[in-house]
Amino acid sequence: MTRKAGILTLTIFLFTVTLVPVKAQTTLTFVTWKPSEPQLWDEIIARFESHYPDIKIRREIGPHSSTQFHDLLTQKLKNRDPEIDIFFMDVVWPAEFASAGWALSLDSFFSQEERQKFLSGAIAPNTYKGHIYGLPLFIDVGLLYYRRDLLEKYGFSVPRTWQELVSQAEFILKQEKDHQLTLKGYSGQFKQYEGLVCNMLEFIKSHGGAILLLNDGRALDAVRFVRDEIIGKIAPRGVLYYEEPESLALFIQGNAIFHRNWPYAWREFSDPTKSRIAGKVGIAPLPHFPGERSASTLGGWQLGISKFSRHPQGAWKFIDFVGSPEIQKLIALKIGKAPTRKELYQVPEILTQNPQFKVKQAFFGADPRPITPVYSLISHVLQSYFSQVISDPKSDIRTLADRATEEMRYYLSWEREQ
Amino acid sequence: MSPTKKKTFFSCLIIGVVFLYLIPYMWFGLASFKSQRTLTAIPPVIYTHQLTLHSYHVAFQQKDLLLYLKNSAIVAILATLGSIALGVLAAYPLARLKIRGKNLFLLLFLTVSMFPQMALVGPIWRIMRTLGWLNTYQGLIFPYITLTLPLAVWILVRFFEQLPQEIEEAALVDGCTPLKALWKVILPLAAPGVFTAAILIFIYAWNEFFFALLIMTYPARHTLPVGIALFPGEYTMPWGEIAAASVVATIPLICLVLFCERYIISGLTAGAVKG
Amino acid sequence: MGEGAVKRAAFPYLLLSPAFLFVVTLAFFPIAYSFWLSLHRIVFVLPHLGESFIGLENFARLLQDTRAWQALKFTLLFVGTTTLSELFLGLLLALALHQPIFGRGLIRAIILIPWAIPTVVSSQMWRFLFNDQYGFLNLLFFGNHPELYRAFLAEPISAMVAVMAVDIWKTTPFCALILLAGLQTIPQELYEAAKVDGAGRWRQFVHITLPMLRPTIVLALLFRTLDAFRVFDSIYVMTQGGPADATLVLQFYGYKKMFAEGLLGYGAAISVVIFLFSLVVSIFYLRLIFLKK
Repeated sequence: MTRKAGILTLTIFLFTVTLVPVKAQTTLTFVTWKPSEPQLWDEIIARFESHYPDIKIRREIGPHSSTQFHDLLTQKLKNRDPEIDIFFMDVVWPAEFASAGWALSLDSFFSQEERQKFLSGAIAPNTYKGHIYGLPLFIDVGLLYYRRDLLEKYGFSVPRTWQELVSQAEFILKQEKDHQLTLKGYSGQFKQYEGLVCNMLEFIKSHGGAILLLNDGRALDAVRFVRDEIIGKIAPRGVLYYEEPESLALFIQGNAIFHRNWPYAWREFSDPTKSRIAGKVGIAPLPHFPGERSASTLGGWQLGISKFSRHPQGAWKFIDFVGSPEIQKLIALKIGKAPTRKELYQVPEILTQNPQFKVKQAFFGADPRPITPVYSLISHVLQSYFSQVISDPKSDIRTLADRATEEMRYYLSWEREQ
Repeated sequence: MSPTKKKTFFSCLIIGVVFLYLIPYMWFGLASFKSQRTLTAIPPVIYTHQLTLHSYHVAFQQKDLLLYLKNSAIVAILATLGSIALGVLAAYPLARLKIRGKNLFLLLFLTVSMFPQMALVGPIWRIMRTLGWLNTYQGLIFPYITLTLPLAVWILVRFFEQLPQEIEEAALVDGCTPLKALWKVILPLAAPGVFTAAILIFIYAWNEFFFALLIMTYPARHTLPVGIALFPGEYTMPWGEIAAASVVATIPLICLVLFCERYIISGLTAGAVKG
Repeated sequence: MGEGAVKRAAFPYLLLSPAFLFVVTLAFFPIAYSFWLSLHRIVFVLPHLGESFIGLENFARLLQDTRAWQALKFTLLFVGTTTLSELFLGLLLALALHQPIFGRGLIRAIILIPWAIPTVVSSQMWRFLFNDQYGFLNLLFFGNHPELYRAFLAEPISAMVAVMAVDIWKTTPFCALILLAGLQTIPQELYEAAKVDGAGRWRQFVHITLPMLRPTIVLALLFRTLDAFRVFDSIYVMTQGGPADATLVLQFYGYKKMFAEGLLGYGAAISVVIFLFSLVVSIFYLRLIFLKK
């Protein structure tokens, strides 16, 4: 009797146990780049996993180079790889990814109310045809760094217009010729690559022009100014092949008066083991042309979910977690990346460590590059055009601008094709 | 000029040329010992007392250099062995046996080298994915074998062709099967060609970047070129660490070549055939 | 009896088949696919446009693409200059290393260093060396006078020269190695016989070395040319085709179209063009060996 009862109990027990749903563990694949500060991301992921014990994050790592990362990522998405769930997108990719059908629309996850808490300039590039496809995690904006000690020495205040900057630089260069033969006036990024578009956008926008209308008078003048006044006069010819590292090196070795770069540069200058100018650097918004306002190109990275992901809800949990105020604050403090939540720009701790974030007009009013799925085609045309014009002192700007504008118009027309 | 004078003259000349040739590399090697601040000093600083091993430390500790070396070594060695094996098997009949359309076959192999790798990446990636071979060693080894076979086959055909008919016939008369004759007689005599091809294939596999970038995306599987491409930050270029990694990366190669050295020279025994 | 003969006749093909199989699946199929793609219009980022068959329209557009012509011109210049230089310098190097000098093995290993460093790494190294402020080359040419330093990669012409020079520096060992192996197979007796006949070193070189080396020279030339047509890594890292598209080469242009812009059909058409050029050049070289034979 007891044996039968025992077997019955056991059977019932086993039955109930197997019927109770065991929480399956989901693994999400996160395509990201190799972090310069691995501990930070290890910590973020550890925190997430402890918060959500049934989700594990597995990382696939690509290079930081935007083009290489793009190649790696799109190779998987083109082939509808269900293995990836979350990925980073450069600020100019969401429209492309949305149109191509690679990124999942986040409308149902990312409420309008929540979006209001983010910088509107950061949300805009993530939207395409009225839907949102990415959560901006950090932003970059163009800033002017200058040698405060040199400006003070000659009684100059921070230049407000580009013309002022050029004349200040010329004056200082002439005066300093005896002590420092190698001093240059301006250091920026003018190599034929995406950074060139960022630099030139700032000149064109701050002259009241638009980058898609290159043959408009204001854009032409801005480009001519760069060719003749900046490259021709106060910047070394070398800037025509500088990316961020080279242009920074010139400034950090004390050999440039003015420097245009992203917010990350501040940390480099302030580190005495790397920099010869620690403590001598000032930060300001970029100059503009008379009668216009300062422009600052928007950069940064966003998190998106793959359309082919099998775990969109889980993926959103991760994105939401990483984009939360606590984590964004952690990122800002640990590696100095500018957050995308408006409230964090009031936090004293963040601002003391990163004084460059105080240039509110740059962070809150940054200018995005054209938001279109065919941006890479547009960008290549722009890169070609700018590089041709500014590297040749005798370039025929008008003709080249006409051609480039026409070519961009042609590519943009594809969007409307049936 | 007397023979010894000639020898020393040539020795000095060669050493001089080699030295000059390597100056860029030596400068870069020196960079691996400099601090970040001195690396971009203007004007450049040749010698500084502030030499540091920091770059090596970072490259090994933080940046998994050993892992990349291991992955590259596995892929390159296996790809070389595979390519040489298949190449020998293909070159032997093409060079010494009766095959109809020999020139056509050679041309077909050559066409692989005429097509830009860029165009092959997409379809090959898809094939590897279908086979489930993404992020596996074979997923990279098989494409590398395919891409290096033309060179292997052509070099080996050239070297096999030169060997006189008699040796083979002698071996067959002695009772060897054709394959045994290949292994015991032909290969040793064609050693310079075989080892030259091996070095060229190894270095190709060691160097290759784009396929590796797209096929090996797991951190545990990155090969050296991809690994070093991971060194730069978003806007920073750690010259010191890249230099350190380059220095370390060339050491296995030097060892490999030194190892293959003996076999390349052994071709001088071609004289033995005449006897 | 007949069975044995069949086996013997099939044997060569059997040996050939593994290699051939590899090449068919992993190379011919992708190549054929590329040809097929080049006849379509594909814009990855705008899927609503579909993937229509457009025949040779991609090629027609290529003919009018000024950037493509510019890339072609520089590619041809690149191929011609680097291949011939590498062959010439490689031959010198091979001849020098053929001498029985002390430490020959080590030197042979050392000269491979430039070529052994992954191209993407050595290109970064050259960017560092060519720098206009802290670059070693400027130090070498102009010493401690930074005001005289030049920005090699910033000017179109010097950038082109720089890119070619880097390739020559890097790849000469490749030619040297192949030619050296070729030199090893020239029987010593020929030289001894010539010496007995009273021929000097130069005559020995012209009448023995060069002719015996010809097939190897053509081999090195052939593969170097094919590789030069497909140059990619160094442009990708050093100049990205700039400044002002001066160092744009065909494969890099094709890469931009295919991968960055998602114009798969157009990019495939560029690949086909590279293939055709390579084919023509190869046939030219091959005739060189086969004719004289």
